[in-house]
Amino acid sequence: MQALKFPLAVSAVAILMCTTALAQEVRFTHSITGGASRVALDAIIADFEAANPGITINQIVFDDDQYSNQGLITQLKSNEVPDIFFEWAGYPVQRDVEAGYAYDLTEAMATDGWKESFSDAVWTDGAGTMVDGKPYLVPLSLDLTNTIWYNKKIFAEYNLTPPATWDEFVALNKTLAEAGETPIVEGNNEFWPLGNWAGHIAAMVVPPDAYIAAFKQEAPFNTPEFEKALNLLVGLHEVGAFNKDMQALGADPAMATFFQEGAVMHPIGSWLVSETANLAEEGFEYGQFNTPPIDPAHPLANSVIGTITGLVVHKDAQQPAEAIKFLKFLTSEASQVKWAESGQMSPVQGVSEKAKLDEQTQAMLALMSNASGIVPPPDNKYPVPVAEAFYQAAAYAASGEKSAKDALVWLDETLAAMGKQ
Amino acid sequence: MSRATERPRSAAEWLQFGSAGVIVLVMFYPAIWMVYSAFKSNREIFRTPFALPSEWKWGNLIEAWNVGGLGTLYLNSVFVTVMAVSMCVLFATGAAFAFTRLEFPGRTLMYRVLLVGLLLPPPSVAIALFTQLRDMHLLNTHWALILPGAAWQLAFTTFLMRSYFLSIRPDMEEAARLDGANTWEIFWHVSVPMVWPAMLTMIVLNTIAVWNELLFALLFVTDDAQRTLPVGLVRFSGYHSTNYSLVFAALAITTVPILILYFILQRHVIAGLTATAMD
Amino acid sequence: MLFAAPAMLLFATFVLLPLGASVYYAFTYWDGFSAPRWAGFANFARALTDPTFLMSFVHVVLYILATLVFEVSFGLFMAVLLNSDRRGFSLMRGMFFAPVVLSMSAAGVLWKFVLDYRTGLLNSTLRSVGLGDWAQPWLAQPETALLFICIVSGWKYAGFYMVIFFAALRRIPRNLYEAAKLDGANGTQQFFAITLPMLKQNVIVCILLAVTGGFAGFDLFFTMTNGQPFGATEVPATWIIKQAFDQNQIGYGVALTVVLTVVVSVISIAYLKISERGHVTRY
Repeated sequence: MQALKFPLAVSAVAILMCTTALAQEVRFTHSITGGASRVALDAIIADFEAANPGITINQIVFDDDQYSNQGLITQLKSNEVPDIFFEWAGYPVQRDVEAGYAYDLTEAMATDGWKESFSDAVWTDGAGTMVDGKPYLVPLSLDLTNTIWYNKKIFAEYNLTPPATWDEFVALNKTLAEAGETPIVEGNNEFWPLGNWAGHIAAMVVPPDAYIAAFKQEAPFNTPEFEKALNLLVGLHEVGAFNKDMQALGADPAMATFFQEGAVMHPIGSWLVSETANLAEEGFEYGQFNTPPIDPAHPLANSVIGTITGLVVHKDAQQPAEAIKFLKFLTSEASQVKWAESGQMSPVQGVSEKAKLDEQTQAMLALMSNASGIVPPPDNKYPVPVAEAFYQAAAYAASGEKSAKDALVWLDETLAAMGKQ
Repeated sequence: MSRATERPRSAAEWLQFGSAGVIVLVMFYPAIWMVYSAFKSNREIFRTPFALPSEWKWGNLIEAWNVGGLGTLYLNSVFVTVMAVSMCVLFATGAAFAFTRLEFPGRTLMYRVLLVGLLLPPPSVAIALFTQLRDMHLLNTHWALILPGAAWQLAFTTFLMRSYFLSIRPDMEEAARLDGANTWEIFWHVSVPMVWPAMLTMIVLNTIAVWNELLFALLFVTDDAQRTLPVGLVRFSGYHSTNYSLVFAALAITTVPILILYFILQRHVIAGLTATAMD
Repeated sequence: MLFAAPAMLLFATFVLLPLGASVYYAFTYWDGFSAPRWAGFANFARALTDPTFLMSFVHVVLYILATLVFEVSFGLFMAVLLNSDRRGFSLMRGMFFAPVVLSMSAAGVLWKFVLDYRTGLLNSTLRSVGLGDWAQPWLAQPETALLFICIVSGWKYAGFYMVIFFAALRRIPRNLYEAAKLDGANGTQQFFAITLPMLKQNVIVCILLAVTGGFAGFDLFFTMTNGQPFGATEVPATWIIKQAFDQNQIGYGVALTVVLTVVVSVISIAYLKISERGHVTRY
């Protein structure tokens, strides 16, 4: 035992030393763990390092859930802060700015026309990339937070086509369920997968003012409109649309289930595309459609749910100039073409036309540009505890655990107990 | 073992042997099933879940090792465990020695304070510990697991080491003192060899605890390169959750070595526990 | 004193200090990002009206009761059954203890595979023998999720208690049993007349371990269900971690840990006082 201990300790210390301390190291933390996009990112970083021999990019990578739960906070407060960190637009960026973690990019954006190289939409008030008119988030991707992916082969088997209305959608689920299929697989163990979708459904039903007021805790959730929205989920549950183990399943297993034909549809975000190569069998064919219009008179009837993800430079970055240099390289047209071809929707102007996009990415881009509005996911726009409570209420309704009314009563009580966030 | 085993067994003994055997096999089966399933293809696991593999696919293990980055996880776990366990057992032995063989002010009070640790659930300080480690700049380093890992096993280990010291009369130490040895020499040359069986037991029990620790490992280390096996395994299985053969291979790789280590040291665990006897 | 110093220092730094800090943070609003703000007793008031938190204590008590049956009692039973010098028993003791050595996350992952609704071993078996209707989403139903966690926990830990009891059994003088045999006592009578009274101290310690260990329970709950479905398997530890880290309410999460610590300490001390009344323990 004694003899074993010391060589191991020494070698482990040696390993620790190797990974730290290089003169021009830019620490870059994100949650892109794998898939085609990670390959593209690694290639872009390799190009950058080749073009800038003095600078190395050190990637610190986390799983998605872990990144937002503990990974980011751990690092922002550590002794060695990351120079660049991944963030979601909206509430998270605002929180980072208020806590003093974000570097004001006004000056950098003004030089070399960097700001103008992005499409105008990313700098609007609602886009959540700026705080008090100052840019803090360098947009990297447009994310479709939720869309409904479907298995083309099984749809063809039952002569089904993407629905044009909500009623058609319910009928389609009924047909599939009666034929013994699992129509929709949802891995709702952590509440956000169904929660995001429910947030979109509610935004398409509830008047926008009332929706925002409720999430800001200025008005109750228990209104006829929110009840109508949750009742749509109850209706799906009643025709047997969801997998029975929805609440026990994680988000990753649910996605794998869809790719293994264990279910016909899977509502989740645009990141599914870059996982295809990992998870799908040869010859697997799939498509996607947006949540069908529910109330044609509603201003957001043809909206999509989406957000911008991007990168923030840390206020206390060791190498801010190098970090900005890298970000400019990463958002240059040449890099963005590679990024887009890995299944990402680029926020940089002209890239989508130049890149050879795969069919799914093209369809999502079309969906986003034709949308009458973009609804942000509740947990990116409003305080996280409020969004999480809403997600749980949605899960109650969708699993038949509570009626829509009871779920909303529970939600208001929970928020009241929580206090203003 | 003893001569008695050669005596023919009575009906009652056969009944005891048979019923114990059935229960033990049922309990042990999931572990065996896990190991041999690691060698099957996905399809085979579904089709004939209980059968032995028709063809032993060693490739599964290699794939899991590479895909899961198990090498790094292993090295991290070994380093954390070795450091935390040696620290904990050594410190606890020293403390138990002090509490039973030496007289000094505050002795009883210190021991009482330490016993608080027996009652505290680790989650109760997890969050405060997180911020403290952050302020100490230890987050995302192995020390964030080693130091708290050792600290949280101290109460239990000291408690048992102390009862082992109490079960041995201090004659040897007194004789050494009369021979002119100082306290340091007595500790190293007399006491430690004497309580070595109990230390070995505590090494095994603490190794199991630290090796398997999940909560602190999940919170205090989020960097992929620093992670330990249990966390890596949870992440891996979520991502590859429908690739049964890969997950079983990863499970087998991570658990079989520790099982073997246990079977080698099993005698000492039971002997040590008999001596300290938890009472 | 010098010999106790490293242990006390380590213990004070990583156990007592954070415990003290917890008490301070518990009185603040704090999201972990910006500076803490004084909150007075607001977090505690919220804790006492947080239905999920209150229910988590009900679940953990049910779990502890189950561990007393599946782990302590079953472990004692097996210790008696495996107490023999005959060939094979040493190996069987080793095998029975083996699950203790596995990590909780490995055990959780393994059993999740067994219990998965769509592809799990249990449901596959039911379907293949024509009992497909009995296939259930075991971990997605409030009634069965907690039960299966208790069973898996029993599978994992019964061996630990078996070893403790076995070690104690070996120290009971043989002649006590021989005397009882001469008096005509059968196996069951011997167990209640000699074995159980002789093991009293061990039983007391094991119950204490089961109670404190139960309140600290996290790993298995986290890997198998993480509180789902709808808080049916939420225990204090999982709920605390969720509040503090998933929802960025560190101040509130810490207040919950303080409540948990107080509850566990009160129960443990009361338990020790009561058991001391019958017998002098080492505490």
